[in-house]
Amino acid sequence: MKRNLFLFLTVVIFSGRLYAQETFPRNDVLDKRENAYALRNATIVVDPETTLTDATMLIRSGKIEKVGQNVSVPAGYTEIDLSGKFIYPGFIDIYTSYGLPKLEQSQERSPFGRGAEQIQSKTKGAYNANQAIKSEYNAAEEFSVDTKSAETWRKQGFGAVLTFRADGISRGSSAFVTLGEETDNKELLKEKAAAQYSFNRGTSRQNYPVSIMGFIALLRQTYMDAEWYGSQNPRPFKDQSLESWLQLQSLPQIFEANSWLNTLRADKVGDEFGKQYIIKGGGDEYQRIKEIKATNARMIIPVNYPDAYDVEDPFDAENVSLKDMKHWEMAPANLAALESSGIRFAVTTHGLKNKKDFIPNLRKAIKYGLSEKSALAALTTNPAGMVNMSNHVGSLRSGMIANFLITSENIFAEKAIIHENWIRGRRFRLKDLDTKDQSGAYELAVGDTKYNLSITGKPGSHKAEIKINDSTDVKVDIKLSGELITMSFEPEKEKGRIRLSGWDTDTPDGKTKGFAGEGQLADGAWVSWTATYISEAEQKEEKEEKEEKEEEEEDKKPEIGEVIYPFVAHGTSVLPKQETILIKNATVWTNENEGVLENTDVLLQNGKIAQIGKNLSSANARIIDGTGKHLTPGIIDEHSHIAASSINDVATNSGMVRIKDVINSEHINIYRALAGGVVAVQILHGSANPVGGQSAIIKLRWGSAPEELKIKGADEFIKFALGENVKRSRNNNSIRYPQTRMGVEQVYVDAFTNALEYKKAWDDYNRLSAKAKAGVIKPRRDLVHETMLEIVEGKRFVTCHSYVQSEINMLIHVAERFNFHINTFTHILEGYKVADKMKAHGAGGSTFSDWWNYKWEVRYAIPYNAAIMHNEGVVTVINSDSRETGRRLNQEAAKSIKYGGMSEEDALKMVTLNPAKLLHLDDQMGSIKTGKSADVVLWSDNPLSIYAKAEKTIIDGIVYFDLEKDAGINEEITKERARLIQKMKDAKKDGAKTKKGGSPEQIEFHCDDILGVARFVEFR
Amino acid sequence: MKNIRYIISTIAILMHQVFLMAQVPVPADNQQNPIMLVGGVAHLGNGNVIQNAIIAFENGKLTIVADAATDQTDRSRYEVIDISGKHIYPGFILPNTQLGLQEVSSIRAMSDNSERGSINPNVRSIIAYNTDSEISPTLRFNGILLAEPTPTGGIISGTSSVVELDGWNWEDAAHTVDVAIHLNWPARMTRRFDFSTFTVKREPNKNFDKNVHELEKHFNDAVSYSKLAVRPVNIKMSAMSGLFDGSKVLILHTNDPKGIVESVKFAQNHGVKRITVVTGDAAWHAREFLRQNNIAVILPATHSMPSRADADYDFPFKLPYLLSNAGVMVALSHTGMLANSRNLPFYAGTAVAYGVDKEEALKMITSNTAKILGIDNRTGTLEAGKDATLFVSEGDAFDFGTNNLSHAFISGKAIVLDNKQQALFERYSKKYGHSK
Repeated sequence: MKRNLFLFLTVVIFSGRLYAQETFPRNDVLDKRENAYALRNATIVVDPETTLTDATMLIRSGKIEKVGQNVSVPAGYTEIDLSGKFIYPGFIDIYTSYGLPKLEQSQERSPFGRGAEQIQSKTKGAYNANQAIKSEYNAAEEFSVDTKSAETWRKQGFGAVLTFRADGISRGSSAFVTLGEETDNKELLKEKAAAQYSFNRGTSRQNYPVSIMGFIALLRQTYMDAEWYGSQNPRPFKDQSLESWLQLQSLPQIFEANSWLNTLRADKVGDEFGKQYIIKGGGDEYQRIKEIKATNARMIIPVNYPDAYDVEDPFDAENVSLKDMKHWEMAPANLAALESSGIRFAVTTHGLKNKKDFIPNLRKAIKYGLSEKSALAALTTNPAGMVNMSNHVGSLRSGMIANFLITSENIFAEKAIIHENWIRGRRFRLKDLDTKDQSGAYELAVGDTKYNLSITGKPGSHKAEIKINDSTDVKVDIKLSGELITMSFEPEKEKGRIRLSGWDTDTPDGKTKGFAGEGQLADGAWVSWTATYISEAEQKEEKEEKEEKEEEEEDKKPEIGEVIYPFVAHGTSVLPKQETILIKNATVWTNENEGVLENTDVLLQNGKIAQIGKNLSSANARIIDGTGKHLTPGIIDEHSHIAASSINDVATNSGMVRIKDVINSEHINIYRALAGGVVAVQILHGSANPVGGQSAIIKLRWGSAPEELKIKGADEFIKFALGENVKRSRNNNSIRYPQTRMGVEQVYVDAFTNALEYKKAWDDYNRLSAKAKAGVIKPRRDLVHETMLEIVEGKRFVTCHSYVQSEINMLIHVAERFNFHINTFTHILEGYKVADKMKAHGAGGSTFSDWWNYKWEVRYAIPYNAAIMHNEGVVTVINSDSRETGRRLNQEAAKSIKYGGMSEEDALKMVTLNPAKLLHLDDQMGSIKTGKSADVVLWSDNPLSIYAKAEKTIIDGIVYFDLEKDAGINEEITKERARLIQKMKDAKKDGAKTKKGGSPEQIEFHCDDILGVARFVEFR
Repeated sequence: MKNIRYIISTIAILMHQVFLMAQVPVPADNQQNPIMLVGGVAHLGNGNVIQNAIIAFENGKLTIVADAATDQTDRSRYEVIDISGKHIYPGFILPNTQLGLQEVSSIRAMSDNSERGSINPNVRSIIAYNTDSEISPTLRFNGILLAEPTPTGGIISGTSSVVELDGWNWEDAAHTVDVAIHLNWPARMTRRFDFSTFTVKREPNKNFDKNVHELEKHFNDAVSYSKLAVRPVNIKMSAMSGLFDGSKVLILHTNDPKGIVESVKFAQNHGVKRITVVTGDAAWHAREFLRQNNIAVILPATHSMPSRADADYDFPFKLPYLLSNAGVMVALSHTGMLANSRNLPFYAGTAVAYGVDKEEALKMITSNTAKILGIDNRTGTLEAGKDATLFVSEGDAFDFGTNNLSHAFISGKAIVLDNKQQALFERYSKKYGHSK
């Protein structure tokens, strides 16, 4: 302990002396130095575009004074000869938390768990209402040099980093610092260097937001709040977070997205508020490079390639998905893909378990096609430019900070060594610069015994062996350190080692070359020894061959598979195209007055249904024989939770969140639904709240990017919910309002009343003259009020999760009081009890076929519900709310034939035309009618029969599912998996790290259990 | 004959009115008179079909199963029911279910399926089986007449029994008591929700060895115990002994090919006589092992999602075909929401759509299940001498439009098919003036 304290004090005193600073108390005499160096005869890479050979760089007081080929060295400079060496600008990592205190880790717990909800922020003081908005945080205030951690970066060539605290959605500002070991005051170059954002609420456990769509909504609201807050003087109240937010807007805005999906989402938020974020990606950008390019964002990209899985055992290999295997293979090619698309990027060590992997991984990226120039730019000029530090770091020009590296050769060469990393003109030696080349053949004399010693390899990594005879070599452990040498070897097996220690005996004139010293024989006897240089070392022929082969392999760009869309099994490298298709001689279920037409032809052209009739012909159409088959309109699922990255947020009124912000095109369940004849789904928010989020309506265009899945121009919908879920019945400790069905009504009355007041406030404001406007406070924009207002004004339509008759009745009354209509009651399992009221109100009913008794409020659910509502004249739909029934909706509809005796045609309409009506899409979908969208399904049998299979699912005249091709796709998957499994095995054999376990699974979202997460966490 | 139809329908109407006042239909009386079903298409459950059949039963047992064209029986002593054009099936059997143990899953007070502790062979489902479950009548409505209420949870969940879906109390409903012990083979992989990626992470299970060792000890102890001449009182140990004398089947639950092999070998090595595996997609990889060891499997609903992201979209649909085609005996069961287990007939229908012969698919919900549970001497097929547990459907019982039961008998008792759900349909159709 005492000893440690002593050491600690020594270090403190020592550094105090060395790094004395003008204003600091001195504990010694004044010792001010210029620290002037002349680095001569080096290859200087000034920036990625400029390389000077045989050049000199002058450094003084931590700055670069001069760089050039004909620079004369003034007096007073320490000269360092760097013949054969390279100088690079020090690397810059703009995605770190270097020198900041470690965040206190609080376990992320399910917001749907059993505890009481945290409704308010727990941040003490006059800060934002949401705990995830931490704009007030200023990394410079907490930054302190961390020598141990700095060293890990320096070893990889870094000289400066941007540092921020990874906590919150708005994370405040970052600081730009150098990685030296002087005082914090000197290493901190720039406070408030950039503003940081993320889709991660960090340590906040406030109940809203919990989902990516919630994070997006909170960001959008905060932009609006800040604008409103900032427009008032004096401020309406003190919010130091918003105050800081306003200040940070002029800085570079850096957003942590971590995946291409989130990159697109972040960029959209930026577009709305006129911000172009610099986006921290996930290394998967190659999977949607076109869309990434379209964001125009500059990117910060990690090089943390995934480890291979251990797939030796074929059963274990089954746990690894094709997606993960392909990503493992393609991740090293990501940077090359970014480069060839012209995206500007910086690279970061972020996400690497071990920073030692950084340069090797970057070299790997070069092997996979990244140019060295781009690699260097990604380490120097690009990051410097992104954080407006180009005048200080990133290249080697006079006046800039003397942050640079000295390397043995081209830094990207496989065996390049970083000798020194200079930070602000201070020298950090990593590997001795002037290591002597000691290779050669020597005569080693140990006492009287002579050996043929051969030292091979490069300076700094010499190897040695002793030749006993033509066929026997003995390995020598050799260690060269400056002037000293240590060797040990075993001349004969099991006869004990000879251990030698000695020194270099070279003379400056080069006439004598060798070593001498003392050693100990195996029996302990001391002996003198010498090693005399004879000639250059013989390089072994086979070794050369091997090396050549290795080099050849290294030069060759590795072969990798193709990008598939989406990037999961069943994705394809080439997307299907729109065709002119003539389906001949099928049984056509029109859903129109014509009913079911036997032996009928249907022509699909330009994405529309062009003609229906007998004996049609079309010159260039692809003919599909429909004999014995049935053609129906495509199935539409009114209530689905597939194809979204999150489903539930949990504010009582979550009207501000939007599923359309989080569409996930990469869900395998899209393909599986297609295989069940589904062409379109409404992705609904979950049911954790009386007012849920806004829904999205998509077509299942498998392979397209999220934005392209949306049905353009479709009406906007929103999810409401009633009953057990919204009153948090499964959580005995819940404190969130409302806790009863009585409170649920009040939530609605309150929300609509507020929305109307909001409208009045804006109307009053908008009526004012420009001059008068300047004299009053502009109302604050509020996303919740705006959403509620859209509902009242008939611009947004309600789908309400509902079960028991009392609550259904209640909502009808609330709607009528505020003069709007509930568009759809979903689930509506007691709809049969109030079908007449629904009919009178004009609401549709979208229900399950036969679910019941899984919770108290569905004790009286009956499978006849659909039939009764239908018989009463309610537009009735069968929906899924489940990925499983969602791919057999035709069968679910068929159950109404059994339960209630519905006609087959009416049953089919419940999953085609009727959902089209409830989604206001019946003008373009839902029936086979000339002019409607070519969204049709060809079935092997009567679609209401359990024996029917969807054979072709066509959307916009594009065949997205084809049963004939499905087998081929499965074969391709098997082949591609086999190829990648072999490759993983080879990688393991070659020493690559592997991990055990399986690919992560996508969870199933299921609104009725509140949320997929809840279902997983609590009920499994 | 017309008379008899009249009597039966009168009885039905009377019962109908009785049940309207009760929670569940009134249990049926024991069979009084011999009954003969004439003219239907009989699916025997053993692979055979009689197109124009005579099925007769008395005192709850089948007496005649024959072709109507050749049968010479004097019909005068029978209540003859003409079912021409209709289909007769053995009562469907729902194995591995929480029926009667759990009513509303979201309410703790209504669940009696999972006891605390990890080794519970002595826990018996029969005594918690609630004959007044409101779910049961909705299963009967679709042709499911027998079920195996099964404890869940822990490593050895407990002992299951087979019940008839009609009865005043569990003693009354019991078909065969204590047929199987259920064992959840430890998973090699744990699953954990990860908030940062919103996915379920799968990592090697650190407790795997520990759990297997615990099982190992338990089975070793049980084997030693069963060999003692004088056995000291030990409820857990004696509950196990049926496994070693073949009176109980060990039903292993695992969904991992290695788990199948390991658990079956484990059971074999400890001298367990009868073994079955409840599994899913994993069975495909272990099919050769299962065939060679003559191990039957109980599969989840064919209406399930593939367990692997890369799997064929229709893998669960065609799994019964893939396995039976490979020589493995298959029975179908239900997983997930208990109330949905009434769809068992349609799971068989989907198996047919994806390759299984219709009569083979029937076996998967009748005779195969009976064999697995060791009750095939009494039920599972329509054969003289067996229980008269069967039903008549207007058409193909595997399809939605035609699964429409007109009669059902459990051990000869003519059971009421309508229940609360039909009553509510009727009540509200009447309220709105809909013609039914």
